[in-house]
Amino acid sequence: MKSKKLNFYIIIGIIILLISMFLALNIGVYDFGNSSAFQVLWKFISGDSALSLSEKYIIRDVRASRIVLSVLVGSMLAVSGTSLQGMFKNPLATGDLIGLTSGATLLAAIAIVLGHTFQEFLPEWIRISLVSISAFIGALLAMILVYRISTSGGQTNVVMMLLAGVAITAIGFAVTGLLIYISKDDQLRDLTFWNLGSLAGATWTKNGILFLVLLISYFILLPKGKALNAMMLGEKDAQHIGIDVEKLKKQIIILTALMVGSCVAFSGTIGFVGLIIPYILRQIFRSDYHFILPLSAISGSILLLIADTISRTIVAPSELPIGILTGLMGAPVFIAILLKFKNNLR
Amino acid sequence: MKSIKILLISAVLLSGISCKKEADQKINENPVAENPASNQRIITLNGGITEIVVALGYEKEIAGTDVTSTFPGSLKSTAKDLGHVRSMTIEPVMALNPTLILASNKDINPDLLEKIKSSGIKTELFQQEFSVAGTKKLIEEIAKSLGNNDYQKLFDKIDGDIKQIQPIAKKPKVLFIYARGNMLMVAGKNTPMTNMIEIAGGENAANDFEDFKPLTPEAVVSANPDVLLFFTTGLEGSGGTDGVLKMPGISQTNAGKNKKIISMDGGLLSSFGPRVGEAALSLNQLLLESSK
Repeated sequence: MKSKKLNFYIIIGIIILLISMFLALNIGVYDFGNSSAFQVLWKFISGDSALSLSEKYIIRDVRASRIVLSVLVGSMLAVSGTSLQGMFKNPLATGDLIGLTSGATLLAAIAIVLGHTFQEFLPEWIRISLVSISAFIGALLAMILVYRISTSGGQTNVVMMLLAGVAITAIGFAVTGLLIYISKDDQLRDLTFWNLGSLAGATWTKNGILFLVLLISYFILLPKGKALNAMMLGEKDAQHIGIDVEKLKKQIIILTALMVGSCVAFSGTIGFVGLIIPYILRQIFRSDYHFILPLSAISGSILLLIADTISRTIVAPSELPIGILTGLMGAPVFIAILLKFKNNLR
Repeated sequence: MKSIKILLISAVLLSGISCKKEADQKINENPVAENPASNQRIITLNGGITEIVVALGYEKEIAGTDVTSTFPGSLKSTAKDLGHVRSMTIEPVMALNPTLILASNKDINPDLLEKIKSSGIKTELFQQEFSVAGTKKLIEEIAKSLGNNDYQKLFDKIDGDIKQIQPIAKKPKVLFIYARGNMLMVAGKNTPMTNMIEIAGGENAANDFEDFKPLTPEAVVSANPDVLLFFTTGLEGSGGTDGVLKMPGISQTNAGKNKKIISMDGGLLSSFGPRVGEAALSLNQLLLESSK
């Protein structure tokens, strides 16, 4: 019975996602003249030779790849937020607030600075993979640090968790800033990219790697909704029901670090997605991770896709950094959660 | 639950509507485009490069420029300003249907560069050397990429202006300050501004570091410049001469005590394009004035 309802929502979600993707394809500064983006896309798919090189390039390598990137990143950020919240049993646990994105940014920046010397000798996919592997390690180290500091005996001290995040973010910001200051390297990007994120650098290679990460992580994590529900009862009780708590925690730790790391490596720090999506879904489904976890995968994509589309049309031909939009959406959510906490403390 | 669904659907519809707004906007923006003499549509992503292309006679063919291309002013109505190369994306560039993109490899966003290279549009990347010889070389290279050999008159103008530069008896120590809001940066060795200072007969007051560094009162006082140089916009933004005298450390320097504060137009001073001779001559005259 419950599964039927879940499938229903999943199908609706996917339909909305596909509609959004098609609409986003039609939006952009480039004017296709008399044909709409769909006609161009159709020409591309059917191999029509009348398709100009520029149009093909825009449709395939600029718009479509960017839309796919925003879908993948949005989805993974939302799922990582939801899983972390299940593990820490707290609605504020998200990749950016507990320092994962800073840790990932730091190691990714180091990898880019070091990798620049070898840049010419390595094919693109290896170079990019090295950056995402370093980002993964950075996120993993941050994750382990936060977990050690804030959790003991299965209980998470929320304040310690957030403060550990603040500390890691501070270190990350300082060292990344130093690297950018020292390195006159143009290859080490703008601080804006790292701090506010950008989906403009989308390529199909990056999309391919992200898709691989997504497949691996979702295969393991998405079915764990019921297990996370059990974890909410407390780790001892969950253990007694039969959930292998330690294994689950390890999986969440490693896979969220992997997802967050790869997203940061390719699109910089895009905050609040992991905060907004679980919050909204919880309003609808209460804290039922069996529903929230898979649906966050779809809703995250829709959210980031819409945000990205707005970011590249609202100040055209310029672009608003996407971190600003997610921040504008996320800050009220953050405050709402804090107010709820405050009410509970009375 | 229902309200959330309605919210999601309306969000999706909103993005559809903004698509339509986009189409309407495009219709209103186009009337300024004229038919260029040839079918070339050039995009120049650097102030100096833009000036050279215009000086070689291709102003009508420039379809788009970057934000630093401020000269000549007539470009504002014929070419689209695409923003700063650090944050530009590829779609607005390609929306102008360029046949040729000319850019400098300094400062350009690596993502943008990669996308430009893979877009298949003919692109020429130039390494800009900030000296008179470097400018001449750049003019030659750009002329070649446009299939033009008629650049001698540009060289003659530059040489003519440079010849008029008078040496200054006592070489003034000049400090260039980049002032933008609260951010104050000082130019060290090997920056376009300090190279220009040297061509004009001065010497850089802050020669012990490269590139730009934030201004510190101790460094300013120990450099003790005789003259302070600003961009016109920077000087205005800092509140003019009075505002500058209030900056930390300035009033202890020779320049501050004698109120020797000069400014030049940013594009003229630092773009090292065909007006490089004119710029050096102007600066030379300003420095001569200040040394009286």
